[in-house]
Amino acid sequence: MYFLIEEYLPIFYIFIVSISLALIILGASFFLGNHKPDSQKVSAYECGFNPYEDSRNKFEIRFYILAILFIIFDLEAIFIFPWSIVLGQITSFGFWTMLDFLFELLVGFIYIWKIGALEWQ
Amino acid sequence: MDFSLLFQNNFKMFLPEFFLATSILVITLHGSLVATSKVLGFPLLLKSFNRMSILILGFTLILANNNSASFLIVYSSSFIFDLLTLNVKQFVLFSAILCLFISEQSLKFGQINQFEYFILILCSILGLLFLTSSFDLLSLYLAIEMQSLCFYVLAAAKKDSSFSTEAGLKYFIIGSFSSGLLLLGISFLYGCTGTTHFDNFSLLFYEINSSYSFSTSLIEKALLCIIIAFFFKIAAAPFHMWSPDVYEGSPISSTIFFAILPKIVLFSTFLRLFQSCFSYFNEILLLFSTCTALCSVVIGSFVALKQKKLKRLLAYSSISHVGYLLLAFSCNSLEGTQSLFFYLIIYMLTSFSIWSVILSLNTSRNLDKSKTLVDLASLSLVNPLLAFTALIAFFSLAGVPPLAGFFAKLEIFVNCLGSSLFFASLTAILSSVISSFYYIRLIKTIYFEKVVDNGFKFSVSRSCSLILCSSMFFLFFIFFNPSLLFLQTHKMALCLF
Repeated sequence: MYFLIEEYLPIFYIFIVSISLALIILGASFFLGNHKPDSQKVSAYECGFNPYEDSRNKFEIRFYILAILFIIFDLEAIFIFPWSIVLGQITSFGFWTMLDFLFELLVGFIYIWKIGALEWQ
Repeated sequence: MDFSLLFQNNFKMFLPEFFLATSILVITLHGSLVATSKVLGFPLLLKSFNRMSILILGFTLILANNNSASFLIVYSSSFIFDLLTLNVKQFVLFSAILCLFISEQSLKFGQINQFEYFILILCSILGLLFLTSSFDLLSLYLAIEMQSLCFYVLAAAKKDSSFSTEAGLKYFIIGSFSSGLLLLGISFLYGCTGTTHFDNFSLLFYEINSSYSFSTSLIEKALLCIIIAFFFKIAAAPFHMWSPDVYEGSPISSTIFFAILPKIVLFSTFLRLFQSCFSYFNEILLLFSTCTALCSVVIGSFVALKQKKLKRLLAYSSISHVGYLLLAFSCNSLEGTQSLFFYLIIYMLTSFSIWSVILSLNTSRNLDKSKTLVDLASLSLVNPLLAFTALIAFFSLAGVPPLAGFFAKLEIFVNCLGSSLFFASLTAILSSVISSFYYIRLIKTIYFEKVVDNGFKFSVSRSCSLILCSSMFFLFFIFFNPSLLFLQTHKMALCLF
């Protein structure tokens, strides 16, 4: 039982803190902010689309391509952050491993650039 | 820390994989620079990329053959190298070369002009190589994902065909569902035992007594999840519904890859997982695999009777063959495993012959349609030699005596009887009689049915005829002298016990 408390208590703290932080932020903006609702503000936000229409419409495929590319490069950034923090401890091996990863990413980048996936026209 | 010394042997053992990965990067650069070049006039790289992929795989095969050590566990013990992985890699690379070799003409007819097709094929083969030598559940999962993500895109390679897109989507949904099951099983196992490593499992379950704190019932459920994911991947019967649609919808050059390559790798890896790590739980695993084997054999034989399209027919035939393979797995003996590998290799050889026959059926009428039984009619008049080769291949699949397929089936049935699976072997023998009906019906269509006009027939491509004659030679040769293959498969099976 003791090790349960020891290991899971921090998680419980984070749980409490995140819930209370969310409540504080939401409550503050609800109680302190100005409220001038209009039809644009209260409608659901759908990046340029009408939120309520036939769901069987054709959808521009470039949105998907952009989303996929965004995810790839986003993940790369997430991968680099912890690496840059522990760089002092992982010696040259860790450094060159990451450079190898970046090189492979570069090849992928050249590929999507050359086949024209980045162009919106 | 001097990392060049730390990973020295690991790099040596992984040389073929490193070479393949680097080549993939290089040809990606090459393709993206050349295919979009205005100066060169946006060239189609189909032929050169096909040859280049064959060359790369050939070099990888040579590197794999020149292995320096016979047994090694590398990279924080997540990959293993022994005789089994070596042989499986050789077979995979060799058959990948043959697949690329025979599918060149069909790629041209199918108008698959993207150079990415070959990059995806090379990536999937890289994934298969990793899967072969994976020795940890995490590396196993990642390798399976790498291989199957490439296969989903290969299934949807013909972008303007709705069948191909549907096949890709179906394959993707079923594949990700089964990967989810696999992950669930892995996480249960990790939750119970705290390890994902094959060697630790085999040490842990060497002898279980009451002093262990984990529950064996949860581990049984985890193993059930993993084995179901495995059945999904090899398309064994209650989990087979995707395979006929995917075979039918995807372009034939991709179908050949799905049909021939992944089975031997999946079988070798999961055999290693189940037989050398979880032999304690054999009772439930073998019961389940025997039931699935019988189901596949029966469904594969009966449903194939009604099929009109050749690819669907072959999909159901491959389901029934997977049933025989699982029957050999259920024997749980050294001889059973040996007969499994024996059957698999002979099945791969026969498949090459059959797919080359199907690739050679192009006429001016059916060029962009999927081939049906009618396309086989009066083949004996148009091309008697091709008809005879088809006859040999189908007889071998059916298991008719003077051919290699007979020995393969005989081995499996003898080993089943040796492991007292009487009911299972009786059912399998009866369904094999039924399945021989539709193989013989194909031969009847080739030899005795007359079609007035089937259109102008294209000649058989040189690569197909080369594969056809050599695989026919092997089908005869293995019947008269099976000891070489017996010895090799015995050595492969010994790695698991």
